[in-house]
Amino acid sequence: MNLIQYILTRVGAYFVILFIGITVTFFLPRLMPSDPIEGYINQIQTQAGQTMDPEAITKLRQSLRELYGLEGSLASQYVNYLKKVLLKFDFGPSLSGFPKPVSEYILQALPWTAGLLGISIVFSWLIGNLIGLLAGFFHNTRWATVLEVVGVVLYPIPYYILALVLILLFAYVWPLFPLSTTIRPGPISLEKIRMIIYNSFLPALTLVLAGFGWNVLGMKALSFANKEEGYVKFARLKGVPPRTVMFQYVAKNSFLPQITALALSIGGIFNGALLTEILFSYPGLGLRMRTAVGNGDFNMLYGTVTISIIAVATAALIIDLLYPLFDPRIRYQ
Amino acid sequence: MKKSTLIILSLLLCLVGLSFAQEMTDVGTPRSETLIFQTFDRQTANPDQFNPLLSSYAVWRGFRELGWGTLWETDTGTGETVPELADGLPEVLNDEHTEFRFKLKQGVYWSDGVEFTADDIIYTLDTYFSGTDCLNWFGIAVITGYVESYSKVDDYTIEVKTQKPAFDFTATMGTPNWGPRLNIVPKHVFEQQENLCEFRNPNPATLGPYTIKEFDPNGFWQLWELRDDWQRSSWANLDSDGYMPKYVLYKDFGPEETRSLSFVQNQYDVDTFMSPDSIKAAQARNNNITTFSPDMPYHNMDDACSYGILMNMQRAPLDRVEVRWALALALDLKMVGVNSLSGEFLSSPLPLADTQIKHPVYVEPLLGWLNDFTLADGYKPFDANFTQDLANVLKQTGAKNIPEDPSAFGIGWWKYDPEQAGKLLESVGFTKNNDGKWLLPSGELWTLEFVIPGDWNKVMQRVGFSIADSWRNAGIEVNARQVDNAEFTVVQNTNAQRTTELNWTNCFFTNNYLSGAWSTIKTEYINPVDSNETNAGNQYQWSNEKVDELVTRAAGIDVTSEEFYEIGREVLKEFVNDMAYINLMGIPTTIPTNEYYFTGFPKADNYYAVPYSWWSSAKAIVANIKPTGN
Repeated sequence: MNLIQYILTRVGAYFVILFIGITVTFFLPRLMPSDPIEGYINQIQTQAGQTMDPEAITKLRQSLRELYGLEGSLASQYVNYLKKVLLKFDFGPSLSGFPKPVSEYILQALPWTAGLLGISIVFSWLIGNLIGLLAGFFHNTRWATVLEVVGVVLYPIPYYILALVLILLFAYVWPLFPLSTTIRPGPISLEKIRMIIYNSFLPALTLVLAGFGWNVLGMKALSFANKEEGYVKFARLKGVPPRTVMFQYVAKNSFLPQITALALSIGGIFNGALLTEILFSYPGLGLRMRTAVGNGDFNMLYGTVTISIIAVATAALIIDLLYPLFDPRIRYQ
Repeated sequence: MKKSTLIILSLLLCLVGLSFAQEMTDVGTPRSETLIFQTFDRQTANPDQFNPLLSSYAVWRGFRELGWGTLWETDTGTGETVPELADGLPEVLNDEHTEFRFKLKQGVYWSDGVEFTADDIIYTLDTYFSGTDCLNWFGIAVITGYVESYSKVDDYTIEVKTQKPAFDFTATMGTPNWGPRLNIVPKHVFEQQENLCEFRNPNPATLGPYTIKEFDPNGFWQLWELRDDWQRSSWANLDSDGYMPKYVLYKDFGPEETRSLSFVQNQYDVDTFMSPDSIKAAQARNNNITTFSPDMPYHNMDDACSYGILMNMQRAPLDRVEVRWALALALDLKMVGVNSLSGEFLSSPLPLADTQIKHPVYVEPLLGWLNDFTLADGYKPFDANFTQDLANVLKQTGAKNIPEDPSAFGIGWWKYDPEQAGKLLESVGFTKNNDGKWLLPSGELWTLEFVIPGDWNKVMQRVGFSIADSWRNAGIEVNARQVDNAEFTVVQNTNAQRTTELNWTNCFFTNNYLSGAWSTIKTEYINPVDSNETNAGNQYQWSNEKVDELVTRAAGIDVTSEEFYEIGREVLKEFVNDMAYINLMGIPTTIPTNEYYFTGFPKADNYYAVPYSWWSSAKAIVANIKPTGN
């Protein structure tokens, strides 16, 4: 297979994955036991103390079907959906926030999630892998063992527990950071940036520490294995300085699987850090998705899940396309 | 200077800085001048939607309490109707009770300085009746199905004709329960809009004493500021001492785990639905945090609704009254309450919340009847000793602050008698297998589906699991299924989805039972058993000819008359006869307050209103609290 064929295969697979993902996204919410129209009517019946006139309900049901674009057969709804999503990237109005379009909600939430998770994941990855590399390369030293223990201790702690412990320590016992997010509206300014950092630091710290352990352990195992490879031994015997051996020989090869993991994690950003956003009242995409499930808001679910599918698939495609740069074996196949 | 001294000084400076920082809220207002409520709905999807003619407006952010005005309001302390924008009660103009005239208060102004007059109400009604489909506030359907015609007599007088005899005019045109149907909008603002459906009403003109100062575009908080001219607002008369907090903030402080920590840190003043365990933990760390009552059951706050079990009475075997009674008698409410609520609840065997307002009218008069009530086989199911036994169990568990008078826990409940439950089941063909499980008359294992809220309502979730355990102990196989709130309401109102569900229903706050769920208990509103359409009324889906007749009769008489109340008591008896709803307890709505910055919140010994932040009671709270000086 030459490079062109390699790229075409990957791009082809990308579009097939997208098509399947978007199709499943359309049909899956329809298997949910809650119908958005009936859910809405149920809500207002509850608000109205079950006193709404039956005729008024019938009329309301009909007008909502028209307003929400839920008229017609499933097939015609599906075709319309594909047209809207693929051509206009339009997911329709949010059913719980009608008539505001889902895309507005996504655009509003995305920067928060992407900013928080993007920075956290990259930091977690860089620090974790660097420490893992050092711990694996200098595995006989005491501090390498200490770092490994830190990784082993952090890795299995469920995120929710870890986050609560950090909240207790840094927002309650020593109230250095807020318990919940409060960011005032207004244009970007130094004060606003300070406010964002102040409110985002603790959520980010929980995410960094949660991912840190896995990166340490993974990288340590890889670098430890690679440092015993023949080419490393040869370099060492040839008198190559240890730092060069570590970065140029061991790290380069050990990073390959970690890069894949990083790419997939970055794709996963668009799912939002659900628990983080719930715990810290952080205004991201994950919380929107969670609320959409609770409200039976199909359109919001379509939007958030589709964005997530596109992001993960795109991240996988990019890494597939970039892989030949990192791994010469693929270039020469 | 030594290095260690320098470090200590730096730390001290940091602490001083922090203590100063804590005197301001996160939204930049002085904490001592800002009353802070935990939001009812946590995050709203529509923080910038302030048009009350659309259902998606940010209704739970103080608009109903601080922003809008209503013609008549409910005094939640007494249950009485009190005029707000109206100048007194309406005058009834004909014997049929279909024509009314009412006057408006003079000197009430919108926050933008324009005077409120009859034109605003006429414009609002015109808009309601305009037939604009996209205006989907549910009150529009209610009012247009209620009002026949209306006219302005003068700037402060209006006449309204209703479609049917209306004995609930002040409730329907004012505030029947948590909120009004008639959301009065400012004519001078709304008439200038080309498309009301797209109008989001930014910077809304308000009739209430507060205006919006700032809000979170992400929907977590909203800040209100006292109007300079608040004394000419819709409910300025509620204030008696001239003090109103300068700011009111509705803010979400996160899930209970983190919210309770914020509460301990005095970050807000009034919580909403905190579980009893969290309240206890918070109280142990901050003695400014108080419950509604210092004695058990700490959280009986006279909520309008009650917890109970909805059943699909058309689906076998629940179509048999014997089976429904068997479920009631197989439910050990004492242990359910102890296990899931630490005994902090007020039981009620009658299908209503046993509140201070309703007790003397509906509960007290039926005590004798309950004691004498027998099932078809002569069995007396009522357990008058229930509350005393509950108090004894609680004493054994080491619970504190148990009142001497056990009636604090209610009037009693049904006996826990699995043996009698078994007899009832056997009487309709049920049998038991070798594992002690009940089998249907067909010989199949009886698996009862029981829907309960997921962790979006942790108190109900616990109660639900405990009920399922109780039934299992009596040999009933139960599938307790947790659902999200969207599915929960679908199960509640859709026959095809419902077998049994732990629910909060029977919601009526005053003695007017027709202002709530009972108004539609009619056979004509019953959907087919497997219908997937939302039930348009009769949420119990209960068919009882006598009740049909009673409800129809009640709709034609004065809702404050003894005859009306007597009909209500007859309906209650029929509920019990048919066991149409297994009522459990008043909602143990847990609203602790933190009195570090403000005091004077409604409490059992200072009962001027119910303590909720999302009812008219919030108006009374805002008007009655006082700063502590902290």
